[in-house]
Amino acid sequence: MSAVKARDVERRSGTSLRLLAHDVAGVAVGEETRYVGDLLTVGRREAMECFTHHALAGVRVSCCSPGESTRIIKVLDTVEPRCKGGEGQRSGADGALQRSAGGVFPGLLGPAQLGGRGETHVLRGAAVLSAGFLPRAQEAVLQMSGAGAELSPLSATHNVVVEFEPAPEAPWDAVAAALRLGVLRLAARLAHAARSAIPDSIDELEPLPARSAGLPRVVAVTNIQTQGAFKDVLVYGRSMAGSLPTWIDPCELADGAVVSAQYGHPALKNPTFVHQNNPVVAALRASAEVELAGVVLCPEPVTEHEKRLVSEHAARLCAAVGADGAIVTKEGGGNADADVALKLDALEDLGISAVGLFAEMAGRDGTGPGLVVAPASANALISTGNYDELVRLDGTDRALGGERLGILDAAATDELELPVAVIYGSLNPLGWGCVTCAGGS
Amino acid sequence: MRIVHYLNQFFAGVGGEEAAGVPPAVREGAVGPGRALTALLGDGHEIVATVFCGDDYAASDPSATEELLMLVRESSPDLLVAGPAFTSGRYGLACARLAAASVRAGIPAVVAMHPENPGLDEAERAPVIESGRIGREMRPSLERLARAIATLAGGDELGEQDGRIGRAPRRNRLAERTAAERSVELLLARIDGDRERTEVPLPSFGSVTPSAPLEDPARARIALLTEGALVPMGNPDRLESARATRWLRYQLAGLDRLEQGAFQSVHGGFSTVAANADPHRLLPLDVALDLEREGRIGTLHHEYLTTAGNGTQVATARRFGVEWAAELRQAGVQAAILTAT
Repeated sequence: MSAVKARDVERRSGTSLRLLAHDVAGVAVGEETRYVGDLLTVGRREAMECFTHHALAGVRVSCCSPGESTRIIKVLDTVEPRCKGGEGQRSGADGALQRSAGGVFPGLLGPAQLGGRGETHVLRGAAVLSAGFLPRAQEAVLQMSGAGAELSPLSATHNVVVEFEPAPEAPWDAVAAALRLGVLRLAARLAHAARSAIPDSIDELEPLPARSAGLPRVVAVTNIQTQGAFKDVLVYGRSMAGSLPTWIDPCELADGAVVSAQYGHPALKNPTFVHQNNPVVAALRASAEVELAGVVLCPEPVTEHEKRLVSEHAARLCAAVGADGAIVTKEGGGNADADVALKLDALEDLGISAVGLFAEMAGRDGTGPGLVVAPASANALISTGNYDELVRLDGTDRALGGERLGILDAAATDELELPVAVIYGSLNPLGWGCVTCAGGS
Repeated sequence: MRIVHYLNQFFAGVGGEEAAGVPPAVREGAVGPGRALTALLGDGHEIVATVFCGDDYAASDPSATEELLMLVRESSPDLLVAGPAFTSGRYGLACARLAAASVRAGIPAVVAMHPENPGLDEAERAPVIESGRIGREMRPSLERLARAIATLAGGDELGEQDGRIGRAPRRNRLAERTAAERSVELLLARIDGDRERTEVPLPSFGSVTPSAPLEDPARARIALLTEGALVPMGNPDRLESARATRWLRYQLAGLDRLEQGAFQSVHGGFSTVAANADPHRLLPLDVALDLEREGRIGTLHHEYLTTAGNGTQVATARRFGVEWAAELRQAGVQAAILTAT
């Protein structure tokens, strides 16, 4: 075997990931964490232990399932339960948490080692949500049944909801960090309960192909918000603020390389769940007509010249991996439109076909211009919906996450009319959902 | 048809910018461009009254639309015709608001203006017919408007073929496939050479020509404005922190400085800690008062205007701009410092 070939084999085998999916059809809180049949039981004490931290006075863990008359308000983040499997795992009595979590969420639950290899167990159909007040968090609403439930992909998952009480005098950033870590730990622990179960399905994430037989090579350009405390996203546990774009393997995303610490823009945020299941990557993998050429992660800086620099640099990275096309996504409201628009133009300038995903801000009546910053020459845009349009939500029997919704000064269980912008995940900028907008000239 | 025509002070022959503050008034019959329109309309249609108002008054006084509508109703018209407003922002806003209110009140209305007029987004259900850019294009603009009125008189709706402009509403709906899946399909089409396909029509924002610098700041009245959502502590008027639909004005008269704890920012798009610790970081009253004392600026305007520029839709922001400009002109302000966050 030639040296070149040997290197090639090593490279290819190093980046494949096997997802072992265990379906979840019901979830409840009980004495012990168990996954039996397709039912997940969350051990109350074990769940509490995940949140033992001086910044938290306590947490309350409860569950809700699709179709229940439940509303979750002030949703902060959502994580899909996952843990590593296969050889090299340690668990049991000596099981320090990060060992049993075994490499998911690198840089947060364990050392910042390169993820995306070996086997990963997934509790498919389940999610762990945090909900409650944090500063700068804009109130997100998730409806589990009735009118409005169809707008969010997370009303279709069995949700483990964590509400929390900050410790007296604890600084808010410490509260947010403790909560974030706790949710990741809990997600890893829940998945751990399924490690010995036979998976319902196995998804082999093959190594990315080198340039082959003429299929267009496409990069998922994923912009993430970097606007300081409570509006940040972590890559291997660190903020990307101030960084240049970087190329990563999609398998790294599947192991939790990107974790949200961004609590603004309910409809326009990318929860950790969505990074774990990057919808653009999934759609590209599912297409027989393209060749996935990786993910370029980009910060969303706040000044125009930095936005330009990052955009031009991202386009160069795409060119460097031989991209023929790119799909560009964002996180956040108005100024993040510029990050997409500038990248679309920079990519097309280099001869790379580009499509951008935008949520529209066309006013309540849908007649205003939908984009805050439009590309100059690129024009292939996907709409994830108009965020100003009003929607009506049925009242519910139960609410989690708080007793009152501040934006409307209403009881959390009331029948509500509010902009779709408030519905958690409804206009997801990574293309997770089906809401779109049509009509007009 | 019995028609009431709406004009601004200029086209009503009352005066130019010096008369921009005149309140709503009415004259019998057609005035100015209304006479030419009458000739174009021919028999069967009559402009029974002309309602007019100064541009600044119409754009900045919150009760202007209601007052104008009362004058319109007095003549019991079959139709309200407003404009042509060309690209004049204040005039266009007044035409569109009056027409929208008129339609809401059950009186049909039609407006004429240029597609770049910011009033276009305010007309609601009232149809808007395209006019030229400037008053010199009055003749062809009136001809098109007259044809549109004849169409309306015949009981037909106005469409693109009549020169109707304005965006039809875009509505949310659920697609069969996710946005990510649709994006792959759109990309494949683009790679195959389809350079037109899109789900979002591109907006055109036009451009703004900056005004000339002040000739003599020492004689000017200067206003402080902010989109940083700076409001008195407790946010008594409940300014929205995002997607603002309103702006507010607050007193500066008598203040030497903005005390910590007396003002706060309710902006939802940035960390307000530094701004709340020292509100001058958003609204530089301290420095402005120094400049006033030193005689480097004439007078500091006694009020500041504020809104939250966070997720605000462009049409709303453009309306704020027109309203602020009218308000400040009414108050005799020559220049303004608008802080952005």
